[in-house]
Amino acid sequence: MKIVYRCFLQMMRTIRHDMMLFAVCLGPVLCGMLIKFGIPFLESFLCIQLQKKTFLAPYYGLLDVFFAMLASVLFCFAAAMVVLEETDDKVIRYLFVTGLGKKGYLISRFGIPSGIAFVFTLILLRIFSLTKPGITELLLLGLSGTCMGLIIALMVVVFSTNKLEGMAITKLSTVIMLGGVAPYFVEHPVKYLLAPLSSFWMGKGMLEDSLWSFLISLMVSVIWIVVLFIKFQKKIA
Amino acid sequence: MIQVKNLSFGYTDKPFIRDMNFEVREGEIFGFLGPSGAGKSTLQKILIGMLPKYEGSVRVNGIECREHEKDFYENIGVDFEFSTMYEKLTARENLRFFSSLYQRKPRSIEELLEAVGLLSDADKKVSDFSKGMKSRLNFIKALLHDPVLLFLDEPTSGLDPTNNRMMKDLILEEKKKGKTILLTTHNMQDATELCDRVAFIVNGEILALDSPHNLIMAKGAANVTYTWQEDGEKTAVCPLNEIAGDEKLRQLIVENRLQSIHSSEPTLNDIFMDITGRTLV
Repeated sequence: MKIVYRCFLQMMRTIRHDMMLFAVCLGPVLCGMLIKFGIPFLESFLCIQLQKKTFLAPYYGLLDVFFAMLASVLFCFAAAMVVLEETDDKVIRYLFVTGLGKKGYLISRFGIPSGIAFVFTLILLRIFSLTKPGITELLLLGLSGTCMGLIIALMVVVFSTNKLEGMAITKLSTVIMLGGVAPYFVEHPVKYLLAPLSSFWMGKGMLEDSLWSFLISLMVSVIWIVVLFIKFQKKIA
Repeated sequence: MIQVKNLSFGYTDKPFIRDMNFEVREGEIFGFLGPSGAGKSTLQKILIGMLPKYEGSVRVNGIECREHEKDFYENIGVDFEFSTMYEKLTARENLRFFSSLYQRKPRSIEELLEAVGLLSDADKKVSDFSKGMKSRLNFIKALLHDPVLLFLDEPTSGLDPTNNRMMKDLILEEKKKGKTILLTTHNMQDATELCDRVAFIVNGEILALDSPHNLIMAKGAANVTYTWQEDGEKTAVCPLNEIAGDEKLRQLIVENRLQSIHSSEPTLNDIFMDITGRTLV
């Protein structure tokens, strides 16, 4: 485990030396501050201007869903960029034939970052959440968000061959986060077309306060992760 | 050290490596020779545990490759043909990081850098290195954890004659320390000079396996070519083992009229072409 940890530290050093990736890791904090202080202010302003009791407040849950995903996605994106850089440098195959091994590498690049993303997401949600979810809801929200981060990181490393392509794929793959919007704005059963997206179930879980929806979200995520992981394994074989 | 029995492997349903059998003894330098696409790299990938879905048995250090654990790599050093370094890090930072990935006590980074003439460039970023410098750095990276078995893929590729010589001396030095070395190369001269035994691989099959000396001798005797002046320059060739019966040559020696004489032994390349019907280039 020591070796895996050393390899993880190497990734952190790479992130620290890359201004873009370093800024990405700080992104969730800045975004959280914007949500926590900006949105309620905007809500008061809009309610006064439009003379309504509420305007944005019914969608605070949706904002929390997005924030839970964003915190993980940004951190996992940074890890995915490091993997792409290692692929560019052809270091990745070498790492597999060291004391680290393939399993150790995957843990250091996806396992540990996901774990950290989960913990950070919980902390950031606790601080910046607009709906103050209960502990179970918070855990499920954090876990689902982390899964989304892992899914996007895997999509980036599976479908791109260098950092430039990686950034383009990240932009494209974040579309799958938009599934969370459907339960809030679409009442027609057509919304279930987005059911293969875990974000859809996160949105539904938050809107209806349904733990089952969160559990379905996790199951859907696991399917995505397994499929993408198999593809990634084939790519690096 | 390595036992390969009835090895077959394919990337698709069609086998690419077919029913291969060979052994590599402890302390020897064993060469894989073959043209591009012959299966050398695939074979190396199987031996270092990167392709576990093979048929037959491949045992390295007594461990079946498809079942290897993480510590399998504590005893193996791999030098890929291409650079496998973090380009943004310096040579020293790279070596420090890679040596931290093993449980074994690492060899001195300074000594290794000095051995390949890179000590003065230790704090340069690898992206500023030439191909030859990267090649030398790659080689010492494989030695960091002092493994007992080395896999070297084209270690002399891209090196100038001086560094080529230095690299070959370093490989022979590692052999003297008792290491087993598997060398994959296109370079017949390097193979002749370094390898105790070589295997010719073509289309996923071993077509010949022996020491370079035995393979060359099996081809037959060397030829002697001599020239003299007689209405212009004349040349004749006779097999070395029939030289005593060459009347013309004897007469020229007696009359002191020989202009030049030299023997030409077949090279490993000639043997490769004879056996496989192909060249390596």
